[in-house]
Amino acid sequence: MSPQADLDRLRPLKDVAAIVGVGETDYAADYRTARGEASAVGSGGGDSYVLAARAFRRALDDAGLEKSDIDGLCVGGPIAHERIAEVLGLNPRWSSGGDAPRSVIDAVQAIRAGLCTTVACVYGNAQRSANVQYGGPQAMGGGILSYVYYAPWGLTSQGALYALMFKRHQLVYGTTEEQLAAIPVALRRHATLNPNAIMRERPMTTEDYLNARYIVEPLRLFDYCLVNDGGVALIVQRADLARERRREPVLVSGFGWSELSVDATQLRPRIKDFYFPAHHDVVAQVYPMAGVTQGDIDVYATYDSFSVHLLFTLEGFGFCGEGESGAFIQDGRIEVGGDLPCNTSGGMLSESYMQSWNQQVELVRQLRGGLGDRQVEGAEVAQYAHDVAGKCMSLIYTKGG
Amino acid sequence: MATQRPPRVMDPHAERFWEFTRQQELRLQRCGACGRFRWPPGPICDGCLSEDHAWEEVSGRGALLTWVTYRRPYFPEYPAPHTVIMVELDEGPLFVTQPHELETDGLRDGLAMEVDWLDGEDRHGEYRLPVFRPAG
Repeated sequence: MSPQADLDRLRPLKDVAAIVGVGETDYAADYRTARGEASAVGSGGGDSYVLAARAFRRALDDAGLEKSDIDGLCVGGPIAHERIAEVLGLNPRWSSGGDAPRSVIDAVQAIRAGLCTTVACVYGNAQRSANVQYGGPQAMGGGILSYVYYAPWGLTSQGALYALMFKRHQLVYGTTEEQLAAIPVALRRHATLNPNAIMRERPMTTEDYLNARYIVEPLRLFDYCLVNDGGVALIVQRADLARERRREPVLVSGFGWSELSVDATQLRPRIKDFYFPAHHDVVAQVYPMAGVTQGDIDVYATYDSFSVHLLFTLEGFGFCGEGESGAFIQDGRIEVGGDLPCNTSGGMLSESYMQSWNQQVELVRQLRGGLGDRQVEGAEVAQYAHDVAGKCMSLIYTKGG
Repeated sequence: MATQRPPRVMDPHAERFWEFTRQQELRLQRCGACGRFRWPPGPICDGCLSEDHAWEEVSGRGALLTWVTYRRPYFPEYPAPHTVIMVELDEGPLFVTQPHELETDGLRDGLAMEVDWLDGEDRHGEYRLPVFRPAG
């Protein structure tokens, strides 16, 4: 890796494109059966293509665009690229895909390059209906992956990897489980303010959290994200065109990218470094590109398949010192109304496990305003930090106008 | 019959590693050009890209780095509670393993550990599983 990113070439990509439309499926309604219970895992019925298409249609309506306006496509989730384009009736001039931040970053670059003007980023995942397993004998993936490779010793599941990481954080910095509770409790409170959050009617106290069972100690049930069906779509459009949309555009003002793969299966970047080198590399890109600093961030979201992600990105991105996140997150600081509201939709712990696609929607909505009790007052700058197995990306969104 | 365990991930490099375990030898690949140890086994040195390597027996000693305890069972072969630890080998690599002759409340950061061996079997055959106990 070269010592640093070329900021002279990165800065001109600021505000090249905006998110002009967002769409989601009805997470909460879809999660419950007619009797109000959680739908059974593996019950079938969910279709990733239908979920993606439903979200796409809503995003188009939100933007006030027609399907014929779309000339670029990014695809995420367990859906085949060519098939979803056919299902949606699209002949894109350009396409790409992957996870949410990669899709937005790729879309901005394609728009900048003149390959397309208006990119639909669509994601659908019927993971609950399909009974996708993230650990155990039927764990998805295989081969040389750290949550599969050590099965002979009994190590399995993504959650266990984050539990190993949190345990190390406890040993090095003295972080406690009582401190960690602030994250799932804050996100649950946010979910109760979000009518589309799966856990909207399930308030949770610190005591509730601590009384819940361990899954892989030191992580408990509510440190783990939900597993549910859903779809999300984002429409990214060239900024000059975006100003003609019915909604105020949300500009993509900064991004950064850095990956730690050396000794990843050995878990070295995770256990020895908490992925901080990747965070620091992204910090050196995303803030200078956007022309803001940590102190300017009004609302923040991080990937939260597990609560502990938030500890590590808050430290790595410099919102607090290394080892200080346990104290930093206390006393409502990360809640709406606090200094740094985090994962304000309820996140993947309490809104919907859309593998961070829903985080992008929430940040766009916060910058548009009008979210009632969960609105971060006066929000103008929002940041997403993606930190998945050392593959770190970040996006900074700003209020257009 | 040996103890059934969840399946090993097999490729030609892993096969060599597990063959050595049958003689209770903990051997890791060491680059013939730059001397870097690598784990898990792989085709080339990720430091200098040399294909030249030897399977060098390591000391089997290291320090406890972190651990977790499964309270929910995932594998039928490992009912809960089941503890998994990570040891930083004296030679450098981080090694996921199990504690042996050590209760969970005896786990300590930096505890000196040494390798021991349990029997094991899966669909690829019989082998010995390297586990770690407090150093004597």
